[in-house]
Amino acid sequence: MESSVISWPLIVWLLPIAGAVAIWACGPLLRRFAGPLACAVIGAAFVGTLALWPAVAAQPAGVHVTMFTWAPGITVGLLVDRLSFIWLTIITGVGFLIHVYAIGYMEGDRAEARFFAYLNFFIFAMLTLVMADNFVFLLVGWGLVGLASFWLIGFWIERPIAVEAARKAFVMNVVGDVGIMLAIFALFATFGSLSYADVFAKAAQGPGPVMTLIALGLLAGACAKSAQLPLHTWLPDAMEGPTPVSALIHAATMVTAGVYLVARCWPIYQHAPGAMETVGVIGALTALAGAVLGVVQWDIKRILAYSTMSQIGYMIMGVGVGAYSAGVLHFYTHAFFKACLFLASGVIIHNLAGEQDVRKMGGLAKRMPVAFWSMLAATCAIIGVPLFSGWVSKDAVVYQTLAHGHPVLWLLGVAAAALTAYYMSRMMWVTFAGSFRGDEHGAHAHGHVPAWVMGLPVALLGAGSVVIGWLNWPHEGFAEFLAPIFGGTDVAPAAAWGGEFLSTQIPLFIALIVGAGIAYLQYGTAGALAQAPARLEREAAAQPAFLVKLYYWNELLDALFVTPARALAALCARIIDPKLIDAVLVRDVATDAGVLGLLFRRWQSGLVRTYALTLLCGAAAIIVYIAVVR
Amino acid sequence: MGGYLQYVQTLDYQALLPAMIVGGTAVIALLADLLLPRRIANGTAILLGVMATIMAGLYASLSYGVHYLAFGGGFVLDGLSVVFQEIVLLSTLVTLMLFNRRGVSEDRPAYVALVLWSSTGAMIMAGAGSLMTLFLGLEILSLSLYCLCAIARDREVAKEAGFKYLVLSSTASGFLLYGMALLFGATGTVTISALIHPATGIHGLYALGMGIFLIGLAFKLALVPFHIWAPDVYEGAPLPVTAFMSVATKAGALAALARVIYTAIPQPDAHWLLLPTFIFAAASMLVGNLGALAQTDIKRLLAYSAVAQAGYIVAALAGATELGIRSAVYYLAAYAFMNLGAFAVAALLSSDREEGTQLVAYEGLAARQPLLAAAMTFFMLSLAGMPITAGFLGKIFILSTTIHTGYWPLGALLVIGSAVSFYVYFKVIRAMYARVERFSHPEVRPPSQLPWIAVAICAVAVIVLTFVPVMPGDATFFVK
Repeated sequence: MESSVISWPLIVWLLPIAGAVAIWACGPLLRRFAGPLACAVIGAAFVGTLALWPAVAAQPAGVHVTMFTWAPGITVGLLVDRLSFIWLTIITGVGFLIHVYAIGYMEGDRAEARFFAYLNFFIFAMLTLVMADNFVFLLVGWGLVGLASFWLIGFWIERPIAVEAARKAFVMNVVGDVGIMLAIFALFATFGSLSYADVFAKAAQGPGPVMTLIALGLLAGACAKSAQLPLHTWLPDAMEGPTPVSALIHAATMVTAGVYLVARCWPIYQHAPGAMETVGVIGALTALAGAVLGVVQWDIKRILAYSTMSQIGYMIMGVGVGAYSAGVLHFYTHAFFKACLFLASGVIIHNLAGEQDVRKMGGLAKRMPVAFWSMLAATCAIIGVPLFSGWVSKDAVVYQTLAHGHPVLWLLGVAAAALTAYYMSRMMWVTFAGSFRGDEHGAHAHGHVPAWVMGLPVALLGAGSVVIGWLNWPHEGFAEFLAPIFGGTDVAPAAAWGGEFLSTQIPLFIALIVGAGIAYLQYGTAGALAQAPARLEREAAAQPAFLVKLYYWNELLDALFVTPARALAALCARIIDPKLIDAVLVRDVATDAGVLGLLFRRWQSGLVRTYALTLLCGAAAIIVYIAVVR
Repeated sequence: MGGYLQYVQTLDYQALLPAMIVGGTAVIALLADLLLPRRIANGTAILLGVMATIMAGLYASLSYGVHYLAFGGGFVLDGLSVVFQEIVLLSTLVTLMLFNRRGVSEDRPAYVALVLWSSTGAMIMAGAGSLMTLFLGLEILSLSLYCLCAIARDREVAKEAGFKYLVLSSTASGFLLYGMALLFGATGTVTISALIHPATGIHGLYALGMGIFLIGLAFKLALVPFHIWAPDVYEGAPLPVTAFMSVATKAGALAALARVIYTAIPQPDAHWLLLPTFIFAAASMLVGNLGALAQTDIKRLLAYSAVAQAGYIVAALAGATELGIRSAVYYLAAYAFMNLGAFAVAALLSSDREEGTQLVAYEGLAARQPLLAAAMTFFMLSLAGMPITAGFLGKIFILSTTIHTGYWPLGALLVIGSAVSFYVYFKVIRAMYARVERFSHPEVRPPSQLPWIAVAICAVAVIVLTFVPVMPGDATFFVK
């Protein structure tokens, strides 16, 4: 449907950038009001999103605004269909709550206004990503969210670790961006157009190998952005950013862009079965690998970071096996419970004056009831307690792997669920039960921002973690809602392996009981809590180095890429540019070794001759070629 | 041929007028140097040059749409020659503006005159309809450039650059001339579009002549392996001259190459004859980008990048399609401004003594000169081919050309080269946005606003090209 005079998509899209520019320009004038202004802008965008609902519900094809034709085959416009609408509600809705929370969290920070300008800019970038109706705009949004993420991870520039983490995230994401760019080149070369509508309509005609190449290029982008193996290492480091950033960018929205990309490009993946298989396998492996690493973490934000990686693994696994709506559903519920977990952890960190080590917490349930109850609800959701939102979506994803014929992925999913139950409930007991183990007594001075500013978003998201999965009821509501997008391809043909209840719900429930049960026996019983301080120290020391070092993955990446890249650069310098060797390498050597220096000077004096020789060799090659071919 | 001169019309001279304006002004600039005191002469010369290029550009644009064979086919007036002349003139304009750098001490009028003369040569090349005119243009261009490269006499590198360029370029000119002689022997004509002999097809002498002739052009375009001179010469020449060489010289040579490929070679069976040229283009994309990876000096980095970019443009000509020449002209225009822009920023940051061209000097630029850093970032992103930049569109066009003509390996290499080039251009961006405690390099303080205007012109031009990606049909018209 072409949009009417008042173009809601355009308004929703442009509001956040207007807010960002206004706050950036008038930052010093606004002072404390930067935060509320940023919130108002995002709140308005949320209202605008809701105003789009009737049109989106009525029109299966969605609302489409064509802005201009840029070049033959490349038109630029906005598209709000059911898939992007789902993302929009999270970006503006959950985004709004996190903005409100940030007013409390960032209060008194040196550069509060700058923070909110960045935050608004991020929302704009994310909206660009999901509202694009063509691949060029998608990539623009893709790059801009990376930029916003870079700014916000390194927001506290006085901390070198934060700056380093920001740089790492940026570099890894550039790898992904290049992947997507290559896919776009291949798409244009194959289909002569870059708009979703044209490409997806013609996807069936694309030659198989090219489609696989395109799909893999897109997957590289998805892996980098969504912290999937093998490009996952930036996400835990990104926790150096302020907690609202972790909640918004590194839990609820940006890191799920990979899921969006695969779901959006499903017609491409449908015609690239090999690439699709890869997506599913990467998702499942990441789900398990993330959960395993969650077990050895003690920093509350890092525990949550690995759980994010693991949960996105589930989503990617879902879209990878072809159960697109199940993957999207898990994104939806995850946005609520993971944002809640991060914001609640932020409350704790805020009140304990920056303490993030769970071993130095304990007994916080009474001191911070709002954080406790919200976190409890969210934890129940993530570990899959029946009726909570996470239960609905995780069940759907795991069952769909089976229904689409991937029993091995199903097994990985169940194993990861057991581990998740273990480390998340352990985190709850260690943090909230027993007695306080920290050295400080949290004498945090409250300013003029009332406590509800941080409390209310946490509580609302906590409530959301309980109920939001119910949207999928009574019967596969999400799959039905998204049917116009996925054309029904994502629904498994028939009940497999004895139906969802027997094949998935029971095993997942057993996994939950086993995981949470072990955690209870180790950390939850009265006896365990009494001797907690000493035991926690001992256990931390006994953890296998292979896991504590995160599978040595950083070292592996260094050895595989960073070192060879340096070597390649040196090699290029040696072969392609003899002058550089003169400047950098040989001059140093020559000063030490007289003979070598002499040799080199002779060679250098003949440099023009060397060059002329190269020229003549090239010419001779052509002449020989002509003589031979002729 | 007797009495040929009586057929020369006024229109013939009008076709050549833009080149004559530019060449003539060079003489006036030298006269100004004689007559005026040094202090005034420097500014006057630059001003004269700027006015001459603007006038010539306006005059050339008037003849857009006119198709005419001047001097019996020696000089061609068609859409293509006008567009290439405009590109040459705009790069001359930017080059002249860049001469007003920090620490001006040399005699500007000589610089200005030499740049104007080489510009004249490049313009003649752009419209050359016969091999004679082509060689004439090339030599006018090259002779001025030899002097320009070595003009900073007290710098060791400059002398080295001038010498190298003289020796190697003369060798290449020798090839070119020899190839021309063979072509003339084979066909009995020097008019480029008459070189085709459909009846006899390609015979041995013709093929050999064309092959050797193309070597000469490949040298001017700095295609691998004939690029070897480029980094050293670019490094030694004054920065504005480097900027000029990387754009105007290439535009002239490219116009000649396009004219030869499109009008002088019988297309269907020309595949094997042109194959070496396209292999050189492919090698340029790889070697240029890989070579740039290792560079720590902005001039050498841009030199290697120019090698790769020339490879992209030549790749568009493979197959000699309408789409191909359009893509090539669009990408050349975009490349001209992105590259000139980057050089303009570099010129602003370096002094007349060529200090401050190391990448280290760019560290922390964003904090000190946010606008300049933003402009440089824009040019770098565009050169890398980031989406919604002109560079991206140009690459997309060239890529689809190579797919359509069946030269898809060139397209594949373009994609691979672009991927590598991302790291090259991001190296510059990263340096500018790095946080440094203390800046060791001098302040940006040019004696006038001219270099800033040059940066702005380039930025605006790239933006305009980004949003007007469709070249008018006549821009790629050949008179055959």
